[in-house]
Amino acid sequence: MTPQAAPNELPLRSLLLAAWAVFMKDLRSELRSRYAINAILLFAVSTAVAVSLGVGFIGLRREGDWINIQSSLLWIALLFAALNGLARSFVQEEETRTGLALRLAAPSHAIYLGKLCFNLALLAILDLVTCLFFMMFIRLQIANPSLFIALLVMGSVALACTTTILAAIIAKASLKSALFAVLSFPLLVPLLVIAIQGTALAIEGATWSEGFSYLQSLIGFAVAMFVASLLLFRFVWES
Amino acid sequence: MRERLASVAKLFIGIWLGGVVVAMFLLVPQYEGLGNAGRIIIMHVPTAWVCVLAFTISAIYSALYLWKNKPEFDNRALAAAENGFLFTILATVTGMIFSQVVWGIFWNWDPRQTSIFVLLLIYAALFALRSAIEDLERRRRLSAVYSLFAFVTVPFLIFIAPRMAESTLHPNCAFIEGSECEGIELAVGKIGLLGDRKVQLLGLSQDGDVVTAEVKVSEPGLTSEAILHPTWSASEGHQIVSPEFPNLRYRLTIMSADMASQSAKLNIMAPGTGILDNRITLYTFLAGIFGFTALFIWMFRVRSKLLDIQEDLQQREGAFA
Repeated sequence: MTPQAAPNELPLRSLLLAAWAVFMKDLRSELRSRYAINAILLFAVSTAVAVSLGVGFIGLRREGDWINIQSSLLWIALLFAALNGLARSFVQEEETRTGLALRLAAPSHAIYLGKLCFNLALLAILDLVTCLFFMMFIRLQIANPSLFIALLVMGSVALACTTTILAAIIAKASLKSALFAVLSFPLLVPLLVIAIQGTALAIEGATWSEGFSYLQSLIGFAVAMFVASLLLFRFVWES
Repeated sequence: MRERLASVAKLFIGIWLGGVVVAMFLLVPQYEGLGNAGRIIIMHVPTAWVCVLAFTISAIYSALYLWKNKPEFDNRALAAAENGFLFTILATVTGMIFSQVVWGIFWNWDPRQTSIFVLLLIYAALFALRSAIEDLERRRRLSAVYSLFAFVTVPFLIFIAPRMAESTLHPNCAFIEGSECEGIELAVGKIGLLGDRKVQLLGLSQDGDVVTAEVKVSEPGLTSEAILHPTWSASEGHQIVSPEFPNLRYRLTIMSADMASQSAKLNIMAPGTGILDNRITLYTFLAGIFGFTALFIWMFRVRSKLLDIQEDLQQREGAFA
């Protein structure tokens, strides 16, 4: 680092360091209690098993609407598991009354980024486990895996960007978990529509050029939500 | 002086809307084929426009509240949201009634239906959030944040939604003379609207170069149905036979067909259908939009004033206690 660049670089650098510290703190406390991860994984596993028990190996049926049904089921499993676990990190701060200490220790942007990273990590595990279980129990066959992974990752990023600030909102309300789903669902409708249709294309074996517009929409949605959250988070956290 | 002006304006809105209702039932000519059901459009479109207006006003006042931190702004945002919710329900219900009478189904997940459904959910979520937070200051802040955050998703809903459904029942070409219809892209089995006729693509078959579509055309009001067979040349990419709609001068034509995805783009060939040709209908329509907007603004002002007074009273009670 050159001395001239220091004044400009330092705030961003310290911000990212603080965000990293918040992320590590959440990770450590999660590893101690394993509350969110258990809730999420149990949900993912039970959805996959329930679908398999109910309709059998629908992954083998590749004609007509079956592909759309597979993709919808996958996103339903991901969505509801996510809605069960993603609010955890903020709710815990309120329940254990550590929020005040955190407010003193780090700037609000750093807290938002740290929590966002934590939720992204949770979602990465969730995506991995859900897809594995769908492949085992439903025999989901993905014809274009790279497009599928790209859509899944971008969809999860958009999901995390939308729900993290909502988690901070509901942490301060009563009836927390029910309210989280109520607040999240309307805002997630566009995301779900794009993700379900794009994923269905990837399962069916569409090329990258066919699936690219879906990926673009997801990126646009994620960026809009991320910027809006970054601007609005201060008002939620400092109230 | 202001009070007198306000009461004059109130009277004016009442008389104006009364006039719109009278014109809607007595002056506007019956729309050919639709019967009296067609008249509901005079109410449906203005209420739908007010939904958009109310949601925007609510978001603007939420932003102002976060910026200036004055309770009045939050009262205005809440008043706009509450009245907007009423108008959203009105628009949804009038649309559903019209849809059932004219097309035979209440709900079709048409892009506009999807967006208004999500709007209702957002309002419900906003009110649920407000009722779940005890502390007044915090309730205001968090609901303002949610309302703004929800507003950011709206463009995605409007621009992304049209691609969720291949068919739409909302007219996608105006009935004004000289306007060009774009036609509709339908997959086999889907229904859509051309002009005022409900069309359903029953099947596509190809015989050599000639693609034949089987299209069920329903009269407005579902009084009668007919099956038409327009044809299209795959190699040259233009229509061959474009049969006439039953009892009309207009023809049904295929603009393009795709056998692989089993879908075809259908269009109406017409010199201009002209529902809004009729001056009285057009003016009643515009008067309806003006009247409902004025009604909304009046309701919005009354409600926000009421919320201000309520808050004032609460503060005084607190001071005396």
